[in-house]
Amino acid sequence: MTRFQSPFVRVCWYLSLAILAVPFVFPFLWMLSGAVKSQTEIFAPTLTLLPETWHWENYAEVFSYQPFARQYFNSLYIACVVTAGTLFISSLAGYALARIRFAGSGLLLLLLISALMMPEEVTIIPNFFLMKWLGLMNTHMPLILLPMFGSQGVMATFLMRQYFTALPPELEEAARMDGLSRFGIFWKVALPLSRPALAAVGIITFLFSWNLFLEPLVFLSDIELFTLPLALSNFTDAYGLPLWHLQMAATSLAVVPILVVYIAAQRQIVESFALSGVKG
Amino acid sequence: MADLTLTGVCKSFGKLEVIRNVDLQIEDGEFVVFVGPSGCGKSTLLRCISGLEDITGGTLTIGGERMNDVPAAKRGVAMVFQSYALYPHLRVRENMGFGLKVRKVAKPEIERRVDEAARTLKLDSLLDRFPRELSGGQRQRVAIGRAIVGNPEVFLFDEPLSNLDAELRVHMRAEISGLHKRLGNTMIYVTHDQIEAMTLADKIVVLRDGMVEQIGSPRDLYYRPVNTFVAQFIGSPKMNLFDASGLPANILDTARPAPRAARAGLRPEDIRVLPSADGPVTGRVVNNEYTGAGSLLHLDLEGLGQCLAIYSGGDAPDEGAHVSVEFDRSRLYWFDEQERNVAIG
Repeated sequence: MTRFQSPFVRVCWYLSLAILAVPFVFPFLWMLSGAVKSQTEIFAPTLTLLPETWHWENYAEVFSYQPFARQYFNSLYIACVVTAGTLFISSLAGYALARIRFAGSGLLLLLLISALMMPEEVTIIPNFFLMKWLGLMNTHMPLILLPMFGSQGVMATFLMRQYFTALPPELEEAARMDGLSRFGIFWKVALPLSRPALAAVGIITFLFSWNLFLEPLVFLSDIELFTLPLALSNFTDAYGLPLWHLQMAATSLAVVPILVVYIAAQRQIVESFALSGVKG
Repeated sequence: MADLTLTGVCKSFGKLEVIRNVDLQIEDGEFVVFVGPSGCGKSTLLRCISGLEDITGGTLTIGGERMNDVPAAKRGVAMVFQSYALYPHLRVRENMGFGLKVRKVAKPEIERRVDEAARTLKLDSLLDRFPRELSGGQRQRVAIGRAIVGNPEVFLFDEPLSNLDAELRVHMRAEISGLHKRLGNTMIYVTHDQIEAMTLADKIVVLRDGMVEQIGSPRDLYYRPVNTFVAQFIGSPKMNLFDASGLPANILDTARPAPRAARAGLRPEDIRVLPSADGPVTGRVVNNEYTGAGSLLHLDLEGLGQCLAIYSGGDAPDEGAHVSVEFDRSRLYWFDEQERNVAIG
């Protein structure tokens, strides 16, 4: 929209945008609404966004139904470890692929990118046997190692590599003239300048780990070790049917960290996605 | 002492030879300018001196010490880049002191040197700004300041003014010249702009295809070019070259030094254009470029072909006008078949 539009045109634009936003906003509102409704009211013939009776106790029940606090913590610490580890590995690997000339670097990059083409459903069985062989079944290690060194790690490395490739080489040369070693250049020049890319990789990785479902389903059997996506699917009655009010309440709690991160770093996240798109 | 000696210096990228057997002596405190057309290897030669590129053959000494395998940071040189290469995440003060910090110089000493350089370059009020908050000229001054604070023995400038507009370029040129006079360090400056080379240099090194064509003072190069390449590269507008066979007999008889002088060179300012078309050499004005102080005429001379002439009188002849020209015979340069200046041999 340009700055000189008439108020009428502007109102039309906002109206159109508001209408277009409905399909995206409605499920979220429905989740919040369902979280404080009774199971019966959710399926009432009349569709209401505000509940007749507010059932705040749903939130308490979420925690008594299964060890939800423990599962919440599991998800949180796994996502943090995966994010930190991925940032560390992908920034180093991305820098090496972008800036260090070594034999076979092109081939290595090609191999890495080709790994992105492989759906994780294809690799889950070999990974299952690998983790079993390593004695890591029913531990959190597969949920940490697989994202860091699997397709998500590759994606992160590729993003970082693209960003480092776009950094002006003169900056590194100036740093060399100033007396920095290769690692010094990475640490003191390249890494501080790649904050937007690090933010992008960080948020993508955190989301990826936070939403991981297949791996916890395959590798975990102890309910104390469950992560949130698995725990959410576990709010069922004796017949295995979903308890929607509890699922909605638990889900609304599960989105809190994501929302906090997004609101705190909204500008940087949007910038970083735009930047990685342009530079890539 | 920061004299530099390059002996048989070569640089290759794979099979591509970029610098070929360069011999050069630079005295302490000299301002040397490398000039040449794009791709001639002038920046590569500078980078070889800086240590950013390895030398593949020959020897480089600075202050008598062999530097071939010495890392860039330990050569006692500082470089000012074309793109300034300021660290975007650091303020001006931090940018200028960065190198000293890396070398673990004490903080008060860093502050003293940064403040001193900032005063010299009139950057005092900009020390707390980020590079993005500076104009092109200010950024360039910061880049020079960053070089100054390290107290290098040799300053290297890689086309430092090419990103600036024409007016600022003239101003910064004067600043760099003033800086050289104040500091007295050895400076090596790369440019493709021969006006910059002429105005700044004590000594100019003209390069072509990775080889040195001529080394000398600006006057030397202007008045005693060794070949047609240097003759045409130094001076603006460039020197005209004519086949000697096309020149009028009276010029050939009186001015040609030897029969082997196959080509004659004459600078545009040494050609006098007359409005009447009845002289010994006549022609037509193809284009008239008004430059304010005068006009640059593109002429098509009968028997000699295209040439340039500066018309500094009143109204210059219009395009299409028939004119005659007079050559200043004392200013003619003569070149042999191999394009070498006959007077130099």
